[in-house]
Amino acid sequence: MKPDRWLDCRVLVTVGTGGVGKTTIAAVLGLEAARAGKRALVMTIDPARRLADALGTGPLGHEAREVPRERLQALGVPEGGRLAALMLDTKRTFDELVERLAPTPEARERIFANPIYRNLSDALAGSREYSATEKLLQVVADDRYDLVVLDTPPAAHALDFLDAPRRLSGFLDGQFLKLLLHPAAVVGRASLRLFRSGSEFVLRALERVTGLEFLTSISEFLLAFEELLAGFGERAREVARLLRDPSCGFVLVAGPDLSQARRAESFWERLQSEGIHLVGLVLNRVHPWPGAGEPPADDAGEAAQAERWLATALGAADPGLAAAPAASALVSAARAQAALARRDRSVRERLERALPLEGDAFRAVPLFADDVHAIEGLARMGREIFGARRDV
Amino acid sequence: MTETLDALLSRRLLLVTGKGGTGKTRVAAALGVLAARRGVRAVVVELGDSDVLPELLPPARPQRRAERGREPQPVAENLFTLRLVPEEALLEYLELQLHVRTLARAIVGNAAFHRFLDAAPGWRELLTLGKLWHLSSLETRGGSPRWPLVVVDAPATGHGLSLLSVPSVVLDTVRMGPLRRNTDRVQALLTDASRTLVLPVTLPEELPVNETLELRVRVRELGVGLGPVLANGVEPALGLAEPERVLAALARVPRAGAPSPFADPDAVGAAARHRLARAALQRSFHDELALGLGEPPVELPWLAGGVDDRAGVEALADALSGALQ
Repeated sequence: MKPDRWLDCRVLVTVGTGGVGKTTIAAVLGLEAARAGKRALVMTIDPARRLADALGTGPLGHEAREVPRERLQALGVPEGGRLAALMLDTKRTFDELVERLAPTPEARERIFANPIYRNLSDALAGSREYSATEKLLQVVADDRYDLVVLDTPPAAHALDFLDAPRRLSGFLDGQFLKLLLHPAAVVGRASLRLFRSGSEFVLRALERVTGLEFLTSISEFLLAFEELLAGFGERAREVARLLRDPSCGFVLVAGPDLSQARRAESFWERLQSEGIHLVGLVLNRVHPWPGAGEPPADDAGEAAQAERWLATALGAADPGLAAAPAASALVSAARAQAALARRDRSVRERLERALPLEGDAFRAVPLFADDVHAIEGLARMGREIFGARRDV
Repeated sequence: MTETLDALLSRRLLLVTGKGGTGKTRVAAALGVLAARRGVRAVVVELGDSDVLPELLPPARPQRRAERGREPQPVAENLFTLRLVPEEALLEYLELQLHVRTLARAIVGNAAFHRFLDAAPGWRELLTLGKLWHLSSLETRGGSPRWPLVVVDAPATGHGLSLLSVPSVVLDTVRMGPLRRNTDRVQALLTDASRTLVLPVTLPEELPVNETLELRVRVRELGVGLGPVLANGVEPALGLAEPERVLAALARVPRAGAPSPFADPDAVGAAARHRLARAALQRSFHDELALGLGEPPVELPWLAGGVDDRAGVEALADALSGALQ
């Protein structure tokens, strides 16, 4: 899909491994949407202070903050275009969810007071990912925004967040949990008896290993959540629907080295199998070859000749200059740059072969030597992705 | 005060962490190589989600499936790797505790228990740490440590901190029983700086630097020892005296007659400017890091050949050894 069409999505999700520049690309997408006259919100997890400075929003927090009008105007954002950003806060999102779903104030307080909840709501498997999707549901329901850009958590399994809602609801609906919570209620239909005795046996064996106290604390924690089960399950299904809806597009962000390319390929396969709509790939921080045409192949003899020629030419241009060492440093810088540009090009070609994306869904952004976190830097990256023709 | 390499390798457990993309796995592998070079038997541990070590440190012989996740695999003399999978550690732990293999398998094989485990909080972290403790507590027949050094490619910052905080949560909620005893031992190992250190790896870039500074505060709060910060990927200096003067002279060099693209004044000048600007940018983040740390970080150079195989890891190990002298 052409980058311009990406912005027609209701939700764009940037995915990729840690350190490839997902957060920056998410901000670029938000800014481009604003330049296309849309009202965009960027949700990030990284506490990128300088990104917040660049956007002029002030410190990012749990509530969305608008980028000031004059900054947007300077970058050619039309009257209706707006950009806001927020930083996800796992604990607050979970607290809000509990507040909303708890049937009684007592149930709510029981959860808030539980030591496992207080200490581990962060470590609850996939909770960061879950809270990201939960917050996403909230803001998508908010008609102040045309487009929501979600920067996904840098999990070891960066796609964990696709599983998080399903895992949590599967767990909360699970038989084992019911058994832990209601060990007395074991009389049931004959067809379930076999299963139950198996699980009870497991429970008793676990007791020997962990001690009763641990199982009791876990049970209390889960019991506190039991009343919220139905609500959790429903939210999880909504998120799963939203992420697979055609109005939700995923943008894969990758870096240009070989191991990152391999991981991008396995991401791609995973997204395919999940029924996710991948709209494009951004290959970030590609080393440019500053000369004309393709980066030249390395050749020691040619480099030595280049050094001699440059030393003579520099000496002629500035007779007082130590021309030989200067020529040597310049040529080795050029060779190093060419080597990087060649490597990046081969990674790019590999990805183009591996991922059957239409040509213009595949965008490369060069590594800028200066700071991309200034808002002009974001706009410059936007031009690399979207082309320059909308520029004013 | 930066630790010497010897002091570092005399620890029992090194937890290498940092923001994603900073090169944690490679640094962990290089530390293992350095230990082995000095005759310290080391096992480099990669945690379940990741499976990069076999490329960086290929095993000396093909691995049998049954061995994966349990027994460290030989790579070279004194150098081993292990991919630690929490599910496998759980099975091993249950076997050790229950003394009956089939019983342990029955528990782990129970489908309902599986769905519970899928989302239950903290157990993966706890068993990961338990297995690390177990590795470092194993002894040879002669009574010396079987694995004098365990180097862990720990999860990225946020998950790494969750990993370290789980024992204290368990100790808060569990007062007695076998789980309490085991967790006590794990916590004693983690919080003993003469045995365990966290080594943050970072890059001279904005987000990694900020994250490293925040990580150090949190690790201290958890009572875990901190080793030196390793700033990875430091690009080499251009080595150009009077760069502006050279670039000005270059601008006056006639365009015609360049014998090669490596002599093309425009390309060469642009490449040099790019490198100079990158170096200045890196330097500013480096200074920010040094200011936050109160001392300069240990610098590891950016390696042109990449660190994608054993040779790359050896080169990184050389650099690490040089930087820690």
